[in-house]
Amino acid sequence: MLARERAELGFSILELMVAMAIFLVLCGAMFGLLQVSQQKYSSETQLSGAVQDARLALDQIVRDFNVSGYPSLEMFSSQPTLPVTYALGPVAWSPNYPSAVCTIGTGGGGSCTTPGDYDLILETRLGTDPSVSWVRYQLISTTLYRGVVQKSSTDPATATSGSGVMVPFLANVVNAVNPNGSPQPIFRYTCDTPGGPIACASSAAGLANSPLNIRDVDVTLIVATPQRDMQTQVVKFVELNGRGHRSNPTN
Amino acid sequence: MRSPRATRICKRESGAALLIAIFALLLISVVAIALVVSAGTDNALAGNYRTSASAYYAALAGLEEARGRLYGNNPNYINKTVSNFVPTPYGPPLPLTNVLYIINPAGSETVAPTDLSNPATNPDTEYQNEFGGPPPTSATQINSVSPVPSSPALPGQSFKWVRINAVTESALGLDVNSDGSTDPTTLLYFDPARTDTFGNPRPSLIVPAAQPTPPTTAVQALEITSLAVLPNGSRRMLQYVVAPAIASPRFVASGSTLDLSFPAALTLAGNNANFQGPGTSSFYINGQDQCAGSTQMVTAIGTVNGALSSSSLTNINDDPSNYPGGPPRVGGPPPPPTTPSFGDVSSLVRPDWQTPSGLDAVVQNITKGADVVLSGPVNGNTGLTPLAMSASNPITVVVNGDLDLTSWHGVGYGILLVTGTLKYDPDATWEGLVLVIGQGQFISTKAGTGGIDGAVFIAQTRDIAGNLLSTLGPATFSQGAAGPNSGRGIYYNSCLVRSAQGPLTYKVLSFREIPLTN
Repeated sequence: MLARERAELGFSILELMVAMAIFLVLCGAMFGLLQVSQQKYSSETQLSGAVQDARLALDQIVRDFNVSGYPSLEMFSSQPTLPVTYALGPVAWSPNYPSAVCTIGTGGGGSCTTPGDYDLILETRLGTDPSVSWVRYQLISTTLYRGVVQKSSTDPATATSGSGVMVPFLANVVNAVNPNGSPQPIFRYTCDTPGGPIACASSAAGLANSPLNIRDVDVTLIVATPQRDMQTQVVKFVELNGRGHRSNPTN
Repeated sequence: MRSPRATRICKRESGAALLIAIFALLLISVVAIALVVSAGTDNALAGNYRTSASAYYAALAGLEEARGRLYGNNPNYINKTVSNFVPTPYGPPLPLTNVLYIINPAGSETVAPTDLSNPATNPDTEYQNEFGGPPPTSATQINSVSPVPSSPALPGQSFKWVRINAVTESALGLDVNSDGSTDPTTLLYFDPARTDTFGNPRPSLIVPAAQPTPPTTAVQALEITSLAVLPNGSRRMLQYVVAPAIASPRFVASGSTLDLSFPAALTLAGNNANFQGPGTSSFYINGQDQCAGSTQMVTAIGTVNGALSSSSLTNINDDPSNYPGGPPRVGGPPPPPTTPSFGDVSSLVRPDWQTPSGLDAVVQNITKGADVVLSGPVNGNTGLTPLAMSASNPITVVVNGDLDLTSWHGVGYGILLVTGTLKYDPDATWEGLVLVIGQGQFISTKAGTGGIDGAVFIAQTRDIAGNLLSTLGPATFSQGAAGPNSGRGIYYNSCLVRSAQGPLTYKVLSFREIPLTN
């Protein structure tokens, strides 16, 4: 009796195995649950990261547009000789800048190469710089680039295409290759017409279809998550909309 | 025997349970801490973005409060607190020495924009950049209408102050007249009626050559600067340059103040303008001011840049007594009414209301400020009936296209601007201004007992295809209902003309962000 009790003082291999087995089963269940929530967490982090990036970018574009066009020609009673002193309008264009305006189209229509569905060049003073700059937003493949260069007598599209001017601004922008449907322009323009503001590219705008008449720009950003969702294996998207309103000058 | 053994087994197994529990707790803790840490980084990132954007919009709120309080109809109009601060258009300008601050301290905080010695009270260092000296200590300070609430649970706008002042070239840092220097003393004006060498509208800021006599159409430009500081230190400064928006055709003689009257009860622009009255006894075009107490008179049927067609003259001379009014004049006591009263009133009309391009700009300006813009063709019953307009709430309605008032028996108040053909039905009454600028066609073939009290201005600026004409085409007014009931016609009323135009609003000429060094 005594010998048997002494033998029971330690753990028997069976008891240890049973305890380990229970522990492993519990751990396995817990890790299984954790993995699901970890995957969920990771995909949600990616999604909220995409929302955050898109929101910052959208806000920057909208605010850049709101202050663009400063100082407008309305601030000068006689046109300054140096083009770098004034902004011809909130939006610069190509080709034939500044001698002749072009027409804005969608889906590659219109005679403007910029402004277009995925390309916008703003003309304004930035920060403490007394000279007017060109700020270009351009989508190349799925990356939205931003570039700043001082206004000059060259074509704005050429000036901003110099090496090192355009830098990546927002990645995974899928407006042009929208897998959820037809391509969505990032920039859609509203022009001032005698009958009030209407979409620049619509035929009703007629002669008012010009980069100089742009009143508002609607910005749509569709941003994909960098990786596929681990559970569903699909890429998630966020779509954000914003509207920039021209203030130089406003109504 | 049974009982001690059972106790021993329990003792042994409690050790294993403890181990398992500790392991499990450790695992869960590590995972939880990792989650909390990464969520915290995300929050910090969003927080920075939020305060930066909040400061921007708080400063914008300040700008808009100031701009709104320049508007005469605002219950918190600045002149109600500080008499005669906001200058009357065409009157004496706001001098550079008159500076006003709207301050908005949070709770017991002190905001002292003129005290440059204490950075904690948000001094206006930008004034020094603009005018080369400290802000005048005599500057008037008034409180914001929407102060920061004391309860932190309801965060309100947090701009600290907004400054309103007159502006010069050197203050803006812009060489407005491109003469090679920035003038530090001459007040800047905005002239909405300027044209370039080709006669196209080219409104702009101007540096008047000799003050205080700027061009008769120019109005003083004012600067509004707003500083927002958030509790965490985010700072933003934004600036507007604004000028009053004038929507009146009245030519203002040099040195006199703005007069919102119209030059005639019915103004027809362009040469060979057509006028056809119904020839009934109840129909009048009356230039005698119907505003209570007024003895003023305007021409009944005025023309701009041309004369009436010969058939129109025959029509008018058939019923001379139905068109009473005064000859065109700028001032002086009213002479007795003449009948019929018609003639050229161009000398009373601003130059920009006399060309197709100028009038086109007027249409665009009215459209931008309109309460309602309808796309034609519009029927009165569907387009105008739902609008909540009344004598105390006149509104601006723009119809971009044709408007058909047939069988609309309502009363309208305010400004009605039609760019296409206005098909009028005398069952309808309009109290205020009727502007038919574009196709310039006012046609009525219906019967009724209503009329227009206020004034009517008709101009043809575009051809049928909608292209802008180089000179004004002949405007058309035709009211030819058969029978005795063809409406009351048009009665000039300066009170309704004034109330329809409402008090002046301030147009934003420029908007920029001023970079702050710290």
